Amino acid sequence: MSDLLNRISERLSSDLDHPSPAVKQSATAIAVVAAAVLTLLVPGLGFSNTTVAVTGIAIIAFATLLSLIFTRSEGLERYALLIPVIDLFGLGAFRAGTGGTASLWASLIILPVVWLAAAEGRRYIVYAGLGTSVALMVPFLVSLSWPQTPGEWLRGFFTPLVFAVAAAIVNELARQSRKQLRSIKDLAEEKERMLQRTVEYAAQLQESEAKYRAFDRMFRGVWAAVTEQSVIGTDATGLVDAWNPGATKILGPTAAEAEDKLHIFDFHLPEELEERARELNYPPGETVLNPGFSALVETARLGQAESREWTYRRSDGTLVPVQLSVTKRVDEEGRTRGYLFVASDVTQAREVARLKDEFVGLISHELRTPLSSILGYLELMRDDEDNPLSEEHLQYLGVAERNAHRLLRLVGDLLFTAQVESGKFPLDSRMVPLETIVTAAIESARPVADTAGIQLVQKLPDGPAVVHGDPVRLGQAVDNLISNAIKFTPRGGTVTLALDVTADKAVITVRDTGMGIAASELDKLFSRFFRASTATRNAVPGVGLGLTITKAIVTAHHGEMGVESEEGVGTCFSMSLPLSAVAAAV
Amino acid sequence: MNTTVIVADDDQDIRSLVSIAVGKAGLDLLASVGDGALALAAIQKYQPDLAILDVSMPEMTGLEVCRAVRGDSAIGDVRILLLSASVDEQSQSIGIEAGADYFLAKPFSPRELASWLSVGKEPR
Repeated sequence: MSDLLNRISERLSSDLDHPSPAVKQSATAIAVVAAAVLTLLVPGLGFSNTTVAVTGIAIIAFATLLSLIFTRSEGLERYALLIPVIDLFGLGAFRAGTGGTASLWASLIILPVVWLAAAEGRRYIVYAGLGTSVALMVPFLVSLSWPQTPGEWLRGFFTPLVFAVAAAIVNELARQSRKQLRSIKDLAEEKERMLQRTVEYAAQLQESEAKYRAFDRMFRGVWAAVTEQSVIGTDATGLVDAWNPGATKILGPTAAEAEDKLHIFDFHLPEELEERARELNYPPGETVLNPGFSALVETARLGQAESREWTYRRSDGTLVPVQLSVTKRVDEEGRTRGYLFVASDVTQAREVARLKDEFVGLISHELRTPLSSILGYLELMRDDEDNPLSEEHLQYLGVAERNAHRLLRLVGDLLFTAQVESGKFPLDSRMVPLETIVTAAIESARPVADTAGIQLVQKLPDGPAVVHGDPVRLGQAVDNLISNAIKFTPRGGTVTLALDVTADKAVITVRDTGMGIAASELDKLFSRFFRASTATRNAVPGVGLGLTITKAIVTAHHGEMGVESEEGVGTCFSMSLPLSAVAAAV
Repeated sequence: MNTTVIVADDDQDIRSLVSIAVGKAGLDLLASVGDGALALAAIQKYQPDLAILDVSMPEMTGLEVCRAVRGDSAIGDVRILLLSASVDEQSQSIGIEAGADYFLAKPFSPRELASWLSVGKEPR
């Protein structure tokens, strides 16, 4: 339809709006040729002034030649209106040569007049009238005499006036025709643009559909690939509407058996749900039908992520411990549409943790029992008054005892680390004056420091520094830091133990002038079994548990560990502990 | 009359070590056994003043022996010293709850055990 419209419009515009100057001129040229031939052939006619008539024909021929040139070269087309003007002179001359005012061919003047009048702009009406007037005056110009009779004068003005009126009508018609053409063209262009937009829109639609399909395939692939986690979607009441292969593996039912038939809470232990509901004070949730379900999704409903351990009951009745994350599903307006339950089977993880605890306990027991015998019998040997040992033997015995004790400490540290890791870390807390702990630590470290040739310096605050904590554990932490400092400081160095009190905390710092720790190793310092390269390079004994234990103790007291060090200059460890509220008030 | 003692530990060397300490303290060792069931039988048979029991033993643990002794009126007044290689602080309170009178963590010093036994050898 629009194609047809376009074609018609194009045809109209090329033929009517833009006919070439040659086409326009052809009418005049043919008419003049016909007139000349008729003048020669028809009896009674004939040239009244052959020279002038031939001049007129020559002028027309020139104009025709010009029209052909203008048609050929595009740039000259705007001068095309010269052609009808020249035609008017030519026709004027032709008329003058074929009878003057009595010429049969005066009416030919209408042809260039129409051409001129059809041009865009009202001024061409005037040009057409003037041109006609001039053309009609040519006979008088040729005979070099003014019109003699009033009738002749009148003809010189009245006829151009009539022609001018005709020109005005043609001009107006042409103008309207152009207007119509323009609106038809605009309409066609608008149609074209809309069509283009439709095509573009269709392409976009196709592209986004392809993207959607790709995403859909991806999603389905992922959904099917998750076989070790159960992923279950429900509506806001807990009715299952999505069930992945992992859910089938962990819980039993297939997607077809579960979707739109089962509720998520069918797989939970009622007592666990009840307990959680009690903990949360029976949240109202979005369904009052099942308080357990409301409790299950309460955190997610409030828009937070939640992950906790639950027990699922399989369809065969067996139980499986899971780590379950619950998230909210919302629609485009942000309304809750349901929930997503992602669960991992933690049976194995739990078993591993249990075995680890059991193993550590067993190892600890199995190592401590022979150590008990070794230490006990060594002591018996030392105490045997009937067979006193030589000085040399006593020295050997001392070495054996020292190493047995070292082994015993290591076992204790290992066991303690395992306890910290499994969260079983008993603290026997009471009010502890830290200055006594610091003083005791200095005293017990003094023999070792003396042997190693290291000066121990103690700095205490004026006032008391009381914290709430386990004195044995805190002592162990400070002992660890001091014994480390002594171990890593060469003979002649200094280890300074300082206790400072600020507004709300007590800070114990242990500063040494030892070998230091590389900056790159500072953050690994508190990891289990980590040993600084300066320690291994200098063959300082140890297994890398002391700082782990120290940090665990400080953390358990809500305190913080800090460390600053420069290789070859020294290290400063600090432990800051919150002051007891009671003590702070004193 | 000397304080009478029975010793039970599945580790023969520890058992000997305890027995030596008992001897050094001048107490009468009536029996030295290697598991919990034998320990209970020995207590029932000899009715000693003091039973030194290891916590982890085959057949019956030291704790089970404790509870059995406290549940039996005929032998209920025997004093019990529990030995344990566990450093878990809870184990001591569990032992006391089970009816033990004293608790001693391994490794222990035979010298200190002997001196403690000689001070506490008078029957209640």
